[in-house]
Amino acid sequence: MTYVIGKECIDAQDRSCVDVCPVDCIYEGSRKNYINPAECIDCGECELVCPEVAIFPARKATNDEWKQFTADNAAFFTEQLPGQDAPLGDPGGAEPLGSVDADTPLVAGWPQR
Amino acid sequence: MSDPIDMRDVRDVTVVGAGPSGLFATYYAGFRGLSVTLVDAQPEAGGQVTALYPAKTIHDVAGFPSVTGADLIAGLTAQAREHAPHMLFDADVVDLGRDEQTGLFRVVLKDGRAIRTRTVVIATGVGGIHPRKLPVGHEWHGRGVVYIVTDPDVHAGQDIVVVGGGDSALDWALQLRPIARSVTVVHRRRAFRAHPASLTRAAREGIVLLTESELQSVDGVHRVRSVVVRDKQAVDVELPADTVVGALGLLSAPSPFEAWGLDVEGRHVVVDPTMQTNVPGVFAIGDASSYRGKVALIATGFGEAATAVNNAAVHIEPGASLVPGHSTDDDVALPQTATTRQEA
Repeated sequence: MTYVIGKECIDAQDRSCVDVCPVDCIYEGSRKNYINPAECIDCGECELVCPEVAIFPARKATNDEWKQFTADNAAFFTEQLPGQDAPLGDPGGAEPLGSVDADTPLVAGWPQR
Repeated sequence: MSDPIDMRDVRDVTVVGAGPSGLFATYYAGFRGLSVTLVDAQPEAGGQVTALYPAKTIHDVAGFPSVTGADLIAGLTAQAREHAPHMLFDADVVDLGRDEQTGLFRVVLKDGRAIRTRTVVIATGVGGIHPRKLPVGHEWHGRGVVYIVTDPDVHAGQDIVVVGGGDSALDWALQLRPIARSVTVVHRRRAFRAHPASLTRAAREGIVLLTESELQSVDGVHRVRSVVVRDKQAVDVELPADTVVGALGLLSAPSPFEAWGLDVEGRHVVVDPTMQTNVPGVFAIGDASSYRGKVALIATGFGEAATAVNNAAVHIEPGASLVPGHSTDDDVALPQTATTRQEA
């Protein structure tokens, strides 16, 4: 299972979640952060610290919006993002990668907050 | 907390990692009559459950509608100890090798000791869990930079800078404040994650809280003397510091499986349906392992532990039964192991 970052993160990107993730699986996009579902260990630390209350466990994604963002978090890693040569895949750590200067189409097209 | 161990001893099974899967594998090896040593990099049992979510309620452990992480680990530890295994904590495994002549494995610990063992069960989960290093100044570790405050008294009269914004940062700051000359907490974000009551108390007790500030350098001669902190206006400020406490949370470090000759897939060891890796006699279970259809849960880790240990028993003694008999039988016909044969 994985945790998922929802729309509340867009243009907020507080990054407290990045600080606490014990497996460094929260990646910074241009306007939003994304959790790698293959690397997340489901510990829940990020959900507790997010000041935007943007993070939820995928197993609780029963409404359409949360289902959409669950799929979108995964797509950030499995789909080729605008301006990138290949999908990110599972890099095994966000810090060495640094900020990714791209977003999924859903987030890139989201109205400015 | 670690038991003494006679390093001349040859173990039937060595379990690496004392999380839920490793603890159950340890119990199960003892239950099957195998001699077993459990090693873990952490000072106590429980793996990521103890390190990350001891108070979290877990709902998918068979037989327990809900159980806290701490209670589950306490029960697993008590169960694992039933057959008096050797348990070694604070014992990072740095190498895994095989002696070609004897066929025995050598599990080498960071202090240089080596365990000789017939089989190995890798249950290292997401890897060793260690404090996150400071972005600058880590080279002063042991000379003024610390990551754990074990004995507050050694910091009496000192200027102390704590780096971090969570509960451990504030807890340490509050603990040190009564004996320190000064305590400053440096946090790079806008808001602290720590409990609001801790923040109120910190402000009342004269702890300086700097937000949107980052450690630029740690300086000294033989020991740390000062730090430079860049504040939110991008102004560098030098602060006296006898001790810098890194409180940036925990980070896991995957084990060097490839160096140990194991086939990996991402950060996981590839196993067959018996939980054996590409190296005969080395098994992998729990979050550390990967196979087709893998579901990484505590619940599945328990089953993998039993599968691995029963197959390890057959690896040790090819004539042994794969199935151990039922644990509810009055006299379980335990297979004779290499160890019991030697003693006979």
